[in-house]
Formats: sequence, C-alpha cells, structure tokens
Amino acid sequence: MKAKLATSALIVATLLAAVPAYAHHSFAAEFDGSKPTRLVGKITRVEWTNPHSYFYVDVSDSKGKVSNWGCEGAGPGALSRRGWKKGDLKIGDSIVVDGYRAKDGSHLIDARRVTLPDGRSVYGGSPGDGGPGDNGTVQGNLPGTGKS
Amino acid sequence: MTQPVLQHICQVIYDSQIGTTIRESDYAFSIIESVHVLAITLLVGSISILDLRMLGLILREIPVTRVSRAVFPITWAGFAVMVTSGLLLFWAEAAKNYLNPAFRVKLLLLLLVGLNPLIFHTSIYRRVAEWELQHRSPWRARAAAIASLTLWSGIIVAGRAIAYF
Amino acid sequence: MLAAQHWFELLSQSPLGLYMQTSRWAFAVVEMVHLLAIAALGGSVLLIDLRLLGVILKGESAKSIGRDLGRILLGSLVVLIFSGIGLLSEESMKCYFSPAFRWKMALLASSIVFYFTLHRRALNRAGTASPGIRQRAIAVVSMLLWLGVGVAGRAIGLI
Repeated sequence: MKAKLATSALIVATLLAAVPAYAHHSFAAEFDGSKPTRLVGKITRVEWTNPHSYFYVDVSDSKGKVSNWGCEGAGPGALSRRGWKKGDLKIGDSIVVDGYRAKDGSHLIDARRVTLPDGRSVYGGSPGDGGPGDNGTVQGNLPGTGKS
Repeated sequence: MTQPVLQHICQVIYDSQIGTTIRESDYAFSIIESVHVLAITLLVGSISILDLRMLGLILREIPVTRVSRAVFPITWAGFAVMVTSGLLLFWAEAAKNYLNPAFRVKLLLLLLVGLNPLIFHTSIYRRVAEWELQHRSPWRARAAAIASLTLWSGIIVAGRAIAYF
Repeated sequence: MLAAQHWFELLSQSPLGLYMQTSRWAFAVVEMVHLLAIAALGGSVLLIDLRLLGVILKGESAKSIGRDLGRILLGSLVVLIFSGIGLLSEESMKCYFSPAFRWKMALLASSIVFYFTLHRRALNRAGTASPGIRQRAIAVVSMLLWLGVGVAGRAIGLI
C-alpha cells in the first residue's frame, strides 16, 4: 500500500510539474499583449470545436514565404452567441485576424478580432479579460482606434 | 500510413456522427462537461466520508457499516453519472485523448482506484463485524482509505490536466 | 467607500494578481486545489442534507452528524475562499463584468447565511422521527443553493 501511495504522489507531482504554459485562462497568461499581430491569409483548416475553436491560415511574408498560423477562438457556443456560424469560415477564404502572439513563440495567436470575407468583423474577447480591445463590453474596441 | 489499432479505433470514434456533434455543439459539450465536473461531489465526495470514518476522523460513534450503507448508493449513483458523461466526452475527444498523457494517467489511476475496493472488500472488510465499532479501523482498512483518497485526488488532478496538453 | 470595481482593479494589480497572471502554472495548481475542495464540500453537504431529509443514517443524531461533517464543510469552504481569491486575482476584471460570477457570489453568500441560520437550527432540532415538511424543505434549499454556486462557477468560464 505504501508503494502505491508513493507512486500516486509521484504521478500527481510529475503531472503538475509537466503542465505546460497553456493556461487557457486569462489572456495575460498565454498571450503577449505587447506583440500585436495582424494576419492576412487564406484559411487552410477550421476546427469548430469545444472547448476552443481553432482556424489555421496560410500567411505570406514580404519575401513570399508561406507559413501556417493557428488562431485560437472561443468554443462554438460562445461564438454562436456573437453571431458566428460554423459555415462562416470556409477553406480558401481570405480573412484578416487581429490578435496577439503566444508567449512561447509558436505560430499561434489569440484571435481578438476576425474580419470575414463579407466584411463583417467579430470581436473574440470577453468583457474585462484584459486583452487588447477590451473595454468591458462584448463589442470591444475596433483595432486602430488607439484605445487598446 | 499505419496506426496502432487502438489509435485507429479512437480516430473512428472521434470522427463518428455522435462524437462530432458533441464536439461541435453549442451547448451539449459544455453541459456534459459541467455534469461530469459537478458529479465529482457525488462520487468522490461521498466515498471520502467513508474513508475519513475509517481513519477515525469523523462520525466515530457511528458503526462503519452504517456509514457505508449510507455512502455506497450515493457513490454508485455518482459513478453511473461519471461513466456516462465521461464516455460522451471521450466520444467527442477520442483521437485527442489517445495522445494526451494526462488522459492516460487518469485511466491508469482509475484502474488502480477500482482495484483498491476489490482488494478491500475481499479481505479486511469481510470481518467488518469485528471492528466496525472501533473509532479507528484496522490498519488494512486505513491503508485502503488513504489509497482511495490519494487516487481520487490524483484522478481529479489528471482530469483537469487534460486541458493543458 | 470605494466602488466595487475599484477593489477588483486593486486586486488585479496587487502582487498576488501580478503573480497569478504571469506564472506558468500557478493558476492551474490553484484551480486544482479549488476542485478538490469542491469535492469535499459537496460530499459533506450531500450527507448532511440527506440526513436532514431522513434518507440516510436515520436514528443517528443529526446534530452530531452536522457538527462532524460541518467541520469538513467549513474547512473546505475556507480553502475554496482562499483559492477563489487567487483565481479571481488572475482575471478579476473579467469576473467583475461576468453575470455568472455575480450570480455565484450572490448564491455563495446566500448559502453561507442559510447554513448558519435556518439550516443550523433545523439540524439542532431534528430528532429521530420522520422529518416534517419544513425540515425537508430546508435540506432541499441547502442542496440547491450549493449546487447553484457550482453551476454558476462553471458558467464563468463558458459564457
């Protein structure tokens, strides 16, 4: 029994120690507010999933090199309450995503605002979450208004 | 491209109509997950009371069998809710769960936490009439109680950690 | 008397808040402690109220069950409050604006007040006879209030 206890304690401790920086909670824990990023690209993949949605865009840099970026959004329930539907994003669509880069440097951004092909733009933050664009409402500040 | 059989099965489950519907749902996933989290109180909360009784920390004047008779139906009800909600969550996430180390640890701990009462009930608990009135139960029962509390805590931690991998 | 919003802002900018917001693992650990304490609190509430309902441990003193399990309830409540403050400090403004958070705090306050007043009196008065309608109502209200705290807490992250 003692060995079992020790093993369990070791497992729990290892689990806790191994938890990576994906603290999906406040903006500040995972994403860097000083690294605003605007991605313009073509959608390559959409994951309309719980607990977080993800969509991937191919972005060309100034030299023409294409890299794939991931954009993290809220789950389908929260998105549908903002007026999104699953079919709104189609592979091949050109979208503009304003967000902030992941702190670990990976090609991942937190999608704060997405401008869809039909011109609609949708704000992805929650009131008070402290991320850029947060003004305590569900509409958020428009990028470029100087109020981040 | 060959996958291990188990991984292929998980992928099939993940891609299924039901799995996909839950995973992409507006409300179903959130509700199922909330039920799963809150039913922890039914399952772990109840059995912990029996564990603490055997450790001699609470309800010492009440015989162990009276406490277990009160607790077991609640624990089993909680188990039924956890298994059902857990299976539905797995249905939605199977392919991702296969690769998730926290999920694997959780399953291993669930296996161990199932073996614990098996051993307990076929050994020391058989003679419970001899010790049920004691404030502190015999060391084998106390060891089972500590194992139960530790393993369930580990399962809760591992379950939460799934989101981080 | 500073407005509530100001207190939430202070918490956000406090050393605790800044630590919770920048640490790689602090939020996860504090949240796991919060979850373990929920299991303990829920278990004790369930057994106390099922005794009040006359469903389990009939014939045993409700008062002494309430006293024993009450220690677990209050102990885990203390852990929940401290860990809750830690979690709050990581995202206090988001919580301030969240209707789910406000509901949770209202239900929590109600649960605590109810526990120390009507609930305590019912436990002390409960005999070993079959409980009357008033005693059963108090047990049901107690369970619903605490359940409400849990549901509202889940909703904070989902809305």
